[in-house]
Amino acid sequence: MHAGIIFFLVILGSILFHIFTPWYWTDIASNWKGMDDTITLTFWVGGGVFVAVCLFMIYCVFKYSYKEDRKAEYKPEDKKLEKILTVATTLGVAALLAPGLIIWNQYVNVPKNSIEIDVMAWQWGWQYRLPGNDGKLGTTKVVNINDDNPFGINLDDPFGRDDVMVQSDIINLENNRPVKILLRSVDVLHNWYVPQFRAKMDAVPGVVTYYWFEPNKVGEYEVLCAEYCGVGHYAMRGGVEVQDPNSYQEWLGEQETFSDLLAKQNKEIETKKVAKNNSNIEKVIYKEEK
Amino acid sequence: MSDPKIDGFELKPGFRGMASDTGSDQTMFKGVHWGKAMMWIFLLSDTFVFSCFLIAYMKGRGSTPVEWPNPSEVFALEAFGVPVPLLLIALMTFVLITSSGTMALAVKYGYEKNRKMCGWLVLATAVGGLTFVGMQAYEWSKLIHEGVRPWENPFGAAQFGSFFFMITGFHGTHVSIGVIFLFIYAYKVFAGHYENGGKRGWFTTMKGDYVEIEILGLYWHFVDLVWVFIFAFFYLW
Amino acid sequence: MSDEYENKSGYQAQSSEALTGSAGSTPDMDYVRPAELPEQDLYHGHTFLTKWVFCQDAKVIGVQYFLTAVFTGIVGLILSWLMRLQLGFPGLAGFITAEHYYQFVTMHGMIMVVYFLTALFLGGFGNYLIPLMVGARDMVFPYVNMLSFWMFFVAVAILMASFFVPGGPTGAGWTLYPPQTILEGTPGSGMGILLMLISLALFVIGFTMGGLNYMITVLQARTRGMTLMRMPLTVWGIFTATVLAMLAFPALLVSAIMMTLDKVIGTSFFMPTILKAGEVLEYGGGSPILFQHLFWFFGHPEVYIVALPAFGIVSDLISVHARKNIFGYRMMVWAIVGIGALSFFVWAHHMYVSGMNPWFGFFFATTTLIIAVPTAMKVYNWILTLWRGNIRINTVMLWCLGFIVTFVNGGITGIFLGNVSVDVPLSDTYFVVAHFHMVMGIAPVMVIMGAVYHWFPLITGRLLNETLGKWHFWATFLGAYSIYFPMHYLGFIGVPRRYYEMYDSPYMTSAVGMNEFISLAAFLVGAAQFILIFNIIKTLKTGKPAPKNPWKANSLEWHTSTQPPEHGNFGERLPVVHRWPYDFSVPGAKDDFIPQTTPPSEVVHTKVEKT
Ligand code: HEM
Ligand SMILES: [Cu+2]
Ligand SMILES: [Cu+2]
Repeated sequence: MHAGIIFFLVILGSILFHIFTPWYWTDIASNWKGMDDTITLTFWVGGGVFVAVCLFMIYCVFKYSYKEDRKAEYKPEDKKLEKILTVATTLGVAALLAPGLIIWNQYVNVPKNSIEIDVMAWQWGWQYRLPGNDGKLGTTKVVNINDDNPFGINLDDPFGRDDVMVQSDIINLENNRPVKILLRSVDVLHNWYVPQFRAKMDAVPGVVTYYWFEPNKVGEYEVLCAEYCGVGHYAMRGGVEVQDPNSYQEWLGEQETFSDLLAKQNKEIETKKVAKNNSNIEKVIYKEEK
Repeated sequence: MSDPKIDGFELKPGFRGMASDTGSDQTMFKGVHWGKAMMWIFLLSDTFVFSCFLIAYMKGRGSTPVEWPNPSEVFALEAFGVPVPLLLIALMTFVLITSSGTMALAVKYGYEKNRKMCGWLVLATAVGGLTFVGMQAYEWSKLIHEGVRPWENPFGAAQFGSFFFMITGFHGTHVSIGVIFLFIYAYKVFAGHYENGGKRGWFTTMKGDYVEIEILGLYWHFVDLVWVFIFAFFYLW
Repeated sequence: MSDEYENKSGYQAQSSEALTGSAGSTPDMDYVRPAELPEQDLYHGHTFLTKWVFCQDAKVIGVQYFLTAVFTGIVGLILSWLMRLQLGFPGLAGFITAEHYYQFVTMHGMIMVVYFLTALFLGGFGNYLIPLMVGARDMVFPYVNMLSFWMFFVAVAILMASFFVPGGPTGAGWTLYPPQTILEGTPGSGMGILLMLISLALFVIGFTMGGLNYMITVLQARTRGMTLMRMPLTVWGIFTATVLAMLAFPALLVSAIMMTLDKVIGTSFFMPTILKAGEVLEYGGGSPILFQHLFWFFGHPEVYIVALPAFGIVSDLISVHARKNIFGYRMMVWAIVGIGALSFFVWAHHMYVSGMNPWFGFFFATTTLIIAVPTAMKVYNWILTLWRGNIRINTVMLWCLGFIVTFVNGGITGIFLGNVSVDVPLSDTYFVVAHFHMVMGIAPVMVIMGAVYHWFPLITGRLLNETLGKWHFWATFLGAYSIYFPMHYLGFIGVPRRYYEMYDSPYMTSAVGMNEFISLAAFLVGAAQFILIFNIIKTLKTGKPAPKNPWKANSLEWHTSTQPPEHGNFGERLPVVHRWPYDFSVPGAKDDFIPQTTPPSEVVHTKVEKT
């Protein structure tokens, strides 16, 4: 008897926990409400099945526990019952699958008006690149990356010159404007994940992966790395700030473009040369002192 | 083998017959020696190993950014001063297929309890296999001489060398193991371990039987068959 | 060596009566086809070494497998304690650095899945039960079987050795995804990963030797009258799992070979151009996603390799202890086979957000949810077996009930994760961790425990203590459930898995209390296992001897010549099977069970339906 009671309490506890839990989704801040809805649907259907199965089991434990003089039923098969259960389960599963596939279809088809963002990941950090006035990102290569060309943009690609470079782990987004996240990694797998946006995708070195969403709530969010990438994985954080269009434009105007950077470098080259000589001199002196 | 006659068991025609045959008691494959069934299933598993290798090869070849080298140039062999594409490979394939033939004959003579013929044919198969391994070693050394390495290759994508050495190496290991066993079995046939009820094996303590020649034959034909696929994928594609 | 055969225990050949089937006195209705095969030729060891160490008796090999696997399981359990210590009480154990944490996660995951559960179900239960249940004297290739265990043993030794090499064991996550696995920045990327790959390759080779045995024994060495559709579901489960393993492990072997080459001689199968610490590495042109496909082509069937034997065993336990035939036996068999076959077409559901072509998502979501149907049918059949049964609520049954609760729970969350777009927010979070622990961690362990209590009298001749058993069950079940049920909600709030520390983000720190609670429950569950160890020691010393066939079961393992069974299992004559193993509570029968060996002429007056 006590077994049945304890199992019943477990099921009851699970239901109560679900109702009263303080831990649940963060408030959604993107267009992927459909995902939440499908989860909710799955929760009701699946949770219902779980509870029903367990309660039936508990009922059997109470009703049919061992008695010397009782004999169990002998009925190897019940074709009809099995058929009903199969069909019902198939229908239930199909009902859950359909919305899932519909939303996936939206997920893989990026809207035309979305703005592309190049998200570059490495062990362990992020930086971002936005297309310039031409609306196109320049092509890149891992081997091009160096201090003077932090994104590895191909120098002979005209589209690359006006790209906006955000060398920070925080990126600003315009509210209610779809973004296509283009993920790129220079070393290992990473995953650019903001819980409030629900969406995610791995960054794979060697290829560019993508996904899209439309932020719809102004605010600051934290970016987590959601694919194991070595010892720094848990600390690989970034940020997103969703702004209204005006503040966003203002922010965008303050950012440096690739040509700005190149110009600055050209100017610096001369001074650098001088500086280098100076530092060499210093080193020599230092050595002598030793 | 011909239809084994099992006491009290009738093979019934049609799908139902097949089902009741499959599900019948004691054995699923009527009259099939345990060792033979084991070899078939092992080979099925091994098929998956080679399939994984070859599928990985296809995927790897499809996704390298650098161009894949042209096989008929890389594998050409000078004969009388003219480069003949695929000459060596054709020879290797010929030798291996021939050894499959001698193996099949060895099995036949084994079942006829013709000790001499069986032994010589197993030995011939072993020599064929050894020749194959030798030619493969020659080809490897030629490619290495030309600068192809598992991690690089002067003709194009580095993965070419990686896959080539890995897959032919894995297959070559199979052939070499087969050759070792062929020699052992040739000895056992000549020594009469499979006759008069069979002599107990040194390791397994099980009695010998000519069916072992057939089992080894299955392995050998499989190795040949895999070679045909490797041949097609590496040299003809 | 040779004289050991001379001691031919009388059963080298069956008597002529047995060979000709129906003879003289037995009525025609009891006719069973005569034996197709001569008696198996067995090697009887005499020295300590051949009897207990390099033993060729499948039962001893089974116990060897069992004990070795349990040893690795205990290592895995201790690692889980250390991880929970860090997650619940960060900083309390100062020696757990991030490097160590990741090494613990990796070794824990790999040990539990491969070296503990797979070896235990197939090597342990498979070896012990298959020959007994199908009525064979032993596995068909005892020598190869012995080699299989020792290969496994070496694989375990190498795995454990990796704890002591410079740099420690690998910390790449049990999925071993390149490029990170073999690059600096991941702990144990030197010797550690190398030993792991070698150990895995040896495991595969050793397993293949065992797997051939299990398959051929089931296919070709059943006793007279044992048709496929009269085999206990345990055998069906283990057999199908073995088939899966024979076809899935090749992918693991191939990926391990390729990864080893990448690591050791610098090929670039899985390695694209990589920039690390400002320098471009020598690699280039490889595909990391290729590895993931190979890995999961192995990895998904692998979870069914663990699950199917559990399904089979639990079906038998439920049927015996509910004193009722298993409901819908044929459906159960087809479900096992169907799930096994389908499991080769779903692997990429682990890769929805891996960056593979997103269009695969449609296909793999559909196949994945199709698998849910036969799985659900199995669940229905278990509870319908309980229905109108006569259920003994003993320790074995409690483990079965615990299995049903945890398995259904984990199965339902599997539907979340299989349904592509629902998986997007949940993948790589603690929801996944909770899901797979529920469904392939806790649920199979429940079955293992039930099986231990059930078959302990067969193996040792003594019954385990029931009271201790119940305490063991409730502590384990309630503890494990309270670890993993709340953990789903960590996933909902978005905490990614494989996080050494959950700090900073407000929604993560909100779960500090929950993490502490989970850790405490984990310590409890681990500690509860000592009850079992104590119970076993106590029983071996002072336990009451089990009567023959203490549970009144029908299957052949309880109807051997001696209990525990001797080498050769069945004494002089192999049993002859006349019915399926689930004839419980047949109307009109004297007892509430009819063993498989009972001929129809003895039960003519009963209403036996299925044979
Ligand atoms: C009470 C027992 C157990 C506890 C407390 C436990 C705890 C844990 C913890 C804390 C993690 C790390 C989660 C993370 O950081 O992402 C983990 C991972 C894992 N566990 Fe367990 N575990 C237990 C039993 C098992 C069992 C029986 C299995 C067998 C299937 C298992 C399989 C795994 C796997 C596959 C991983 C993933 C490793 C990875 O992420 O690479 N665990 N477990
Ligand atoms: Cu990362
Ligand atoms: Cu899976």
